[in-house]
Amino acid sequence: MSRAARFVVGGLAAGILAAWWITEPRPITPADLPDHLPDPSAGEQVFWVGGCASCHASPVDGKRAKGSNKLLLGGGLELETPYGIFRVPNISPDNDAGIGDWSMVQFVNAMQRGISPDKRHYYPSFPYTSYAKMPVADVMDLRAYLDTLPSVAGKTGAHSLGFPWSIRRGIGAWKWRYLDAGPVVHFETPDTLVERGRTLVEGAGHCGECHTQRDRFGGMVARSWLAGAPNLDGPGRIPNITPGGKNIADWSAGDIAYYLESGFTPEYDTVGGPMVAVQENLAMLPQSDRAAIAAYLKAIAPIKD
Amino acid sequence: MSYLTTLRTLCLTVIVMLMSLAIADDDPRHERHELMEGVGKAAKPIGEMFKGELDYDADVVMASLQTWHNASLRVGNLFPPGTETGMDTEAAPAIWEDRAGFEEALANFRAAVEAAIEANPMTLEDAKPTVGPVFQTCKGCHDTYRIEK
Repeated sequence: MSRAARFVVGGLAAGILAAWWITEPRPITPADLPDHLPDPSAGEQVFWVGGCASCHASPVDGKRAKGSNKLLLGGGLELETPYGIFRVPNISPDNDAGIGDWSMVQFVNAMQRGISPDKRHYYPSFPYTSYAKMPVADVMDLRAYLDTLPSVAGKTGAHSLGFPWSIRRGIGAWKWRYLDAGPVVHFETPDTLVERGRTLVEGAGHCGECHTQRDRFGGMVARSWLAGAPNLDGPGRIPNITPGGKNIADWSAGDIAYYLESGFTPEYDTVGGPMVAVQENLAMLPQSDRAAIAAYLKAIAPIKD
Repeated sequence: MSYLTTLRTLCLTVIVMLMSLAIADDDPRHERHELMEGVGKAAKPIGEMFKGELDYDADVVMASLQTWHNASLRVGNLFPPGTETGMDTEAAPAIWEDRAGFEEALANFRAAVEAAIEANPMTLEDAKPTVGPVFQTCKGCHDTYRIEK
């Protein structure tokens, strides 16, 4: 082999090794878990912030589950996206079909690293990019709450995705680029209410997943944070909710909190589209949390439409 | 172009413009939009009273309830076949696919308004449990029978 050929082969081998290393799933270990006694009632609050039911509750007669049916997390909803069809899995405490037999560390790895118990990458249609920013204790509380819900039998089907999205290992590279446990927005002057809002909005609430423009690989564009985006799951656009957008620029923090509580805009129009389910979930929170979300949304940088 | 032709063209233009305005005004899509705007405007002062931003005023509340009652009698007639789309309508296809369900949602609205009129609330404390349910019927109907644009 000539020196040039050896150079090419060596470079290729190094590239493959690097790609393999980058795409390797990196779970946390039980020793990484904080010393925290999981609290199911705190976990119920996390459940409503996260809106777990909006995707994971089994649809009833083809429609979004309402009332107590929101607690039957058998999955089965199909998300039609530009990447293909994602089928939402069963996360009820059922040992066979759901996640009943998962350990705490497996649950935390799923939520915050996007890694399944058999060490494979999840697709970011499961918004772990946001959940990675949650306090680990909140994730543990959520698990404790999910354990109190009814078991639902029946596994759901696999996703149907086009190439190259169908290669799971590739998600490792995606995570390398987009998965970051740190906050999106840094504030000059710390404020308890705004920081609580940041935890809710950037973490469990995963507001950015719909309200932020994505690049061509499906990662959220940080400089367009919460500035609105095309609706990936239906017609129309998801509004800009920064203080610079025409949608809510004129709303006071009180208006935002009231909208999240009641579903009414300051003009007494009602919440619509995919936001209906989100609003109904956020209505379950203590008033202070809705005020925190509002304070955060007023504190972030304005971005024009 | 002679003076007369110019005048004729001008007149014609004006007539056509007026006619198209009249057509738009007459269109059920236009009327229902205006009606719903009115319903929202009537809700605003009550919402502000509920939030404590305005002092309670029983006359204003009763005027809004009357506006809603009139709307509840009229609105069901404003979704005839052929007005499913166009003019930026936010009416959901469900209105035509599930007419009975839509009529029921409107009947719930009317019943809630009539109950509130009957209760004739004189204080904020009386209004919350009697007028509050009307707001829920707005939302209940919009969730299914209106699309977000």
